[in-house]
Amino acid sequence: MAEWASNFCDLFYKCFIKEDRYKLLISGIGVTIKVSLLAIVIGILIGMLIALCNLSRKKVLRLIGGVYTDIIRGTPSVTQLMIIYFVIFASVDLDKWIIAAIAFGVNSGAYVSEIIRAGIMSIDKGQTEAGRSLGLGAYHTMTRIVIPQAVKNIFPALCNEFIVLIKETAIVGYVGLMDIQKAGDFIKSATFIAFMPLIGTAVIYYVLIKLLTLLLGRIEARLRRADAR
Amino acid sequence: MIKVKNLHKKFGGLTVLNGIDEHIEQGEVVVVIGPSGSGKSTFLRCLNLLETVTEGEIYVDDELITDPRVNVNRIRQKMGMVFQQFNLFPHLTIMENITLAPVLLKKMTKAEAVRKGQELLARVNLSEKAEAYPAQLSGGQKQRVAIARALAMDPEIMLFDEPTSALDPEMVGEVLDVMKDLAKSGMTMVIVTHEMGFAREVASRVLFIDQGIVMESGTPEEVFCSPKNERTRNFLSKVL
Repeated sequence: MAEWASNFCDLFYKCFIKEDRYKLLISGIGVTIKVSLLAIVIGILIGMLIALCNLSRKKVLRLIGGVYTDIIRGTPSVTQLMIIYFVIFASVDLDKWIIAAIAFGVNSGAYVSEIIRAGIMSIDKGQTEAGRSLGLGAYHTMTRIVIPQAVKNIFPALCNEFIVLIKETAIVGYVGLMDIQKAGDFIKSATFIAFMPLIGTAVIYYVLIKLLTLLLGRIEARLRRADAR
Repeated sequence: MIKVKNLHKKFGGLTVLNGIDEHIEQGEVVVVIGPSGSGKSTFLRCLNLLETVTEGEIYVDDELITDPRVNVNRIRQKMGMVFQQFNLFPHLTIMENITLAPVLLKKMTKAEAVRKGQELLARVNLSEKAEAYPAQLSGGQKQRVAIARALAMDPEIMLFDEPTSALDPEMVGEVLDVMKDLAKSGMTMVIVTHEMGFAREVASRVLFIDQGIVMESGTPEEVFCSPKNERTRNFLSKVL
């Protein structure tokens, strides 16, 4: 037992303490959070836009929305990230992490749009009819009656999408960003030890997502409490 | 006030309304009866354009509202609609339900709308519920709020689509009482209902619709006591 423990401490020291390697992981956490947060914002904006296209009465807009969702869902996110980084933004002078966030946002937008569309369709048709029968236009009916109710229904699925997105960013190493995953990988190569850095990486992701889940759970509870009035 | 000419409505291959001609005068209380699937609800929904008309014309105050260029929202402001399922907005308080449309459409300021809302709630005996949410109300209370909400827009015409069909029996009376008061105040009303007692008491005219056409039209006396049409007799023998 004592031998196992000292062995563990030795590995821990080599992987995280020696040569200040923990600093790599800490800056990696910063990169992951930066990229994820911006990507979530971009994803929501694109998602709302595409959802409106998909729900529109204009055929052209529905076609645009459909093609967008189709292409994004039909290709791997690594491929999308690399195309956006090495092809579309190849000659644009932007910070790496911003380009990466755009790539993940573009990807997430397709999924968010479906979540929003489902949320809006989950509201009873009678609500729209009641609004319109009072003389309200389509815009007011949507923004004052349908969307406020849809937000509550959408929330859990949206949280799930955020969590998926954060884990998805573990591929940013492909475009040369040092996030948590890449930092763990780097330590593995430098020390020739696989166990400790990879388990460390997993633990960090797990804790990050656990914290986010707890936060979102609180927000949702507050939304639900308003329901019980 | 409302003129309907040769109204047809098809859903795909299914013909629901097959040529309706009607003339509803100001102050009339028209009760529409008929078997389920006869097209009576569709007829009502066509009147405020919740259904697009397949063929025919509807005039309100001599304005052709089935014209595609007409401003639908402006027409609907003249007509209040009460639904079978109430359709109150669950995320808003009762007062907000009532004031939402008048304020958004700039018919009134917020303060005026609230004052009007209090008046209307008093009229339907729900003054104490202004700050409650729809989920806290019984079915009968919800429907009375729905009536108040429609009245807040000062409509010239009120349309009722089976307003008591989703209610527990003991709550039907309170909603019908509100409707009776409204009829007495001179409101033009078109009511689709299965409440034959109410029709008899309040209607100035009864329409019997079946198979998408008006089979019989007359005073409650005429329709209920001496129906001329075989189908009307048949229907009444089942429901009375």
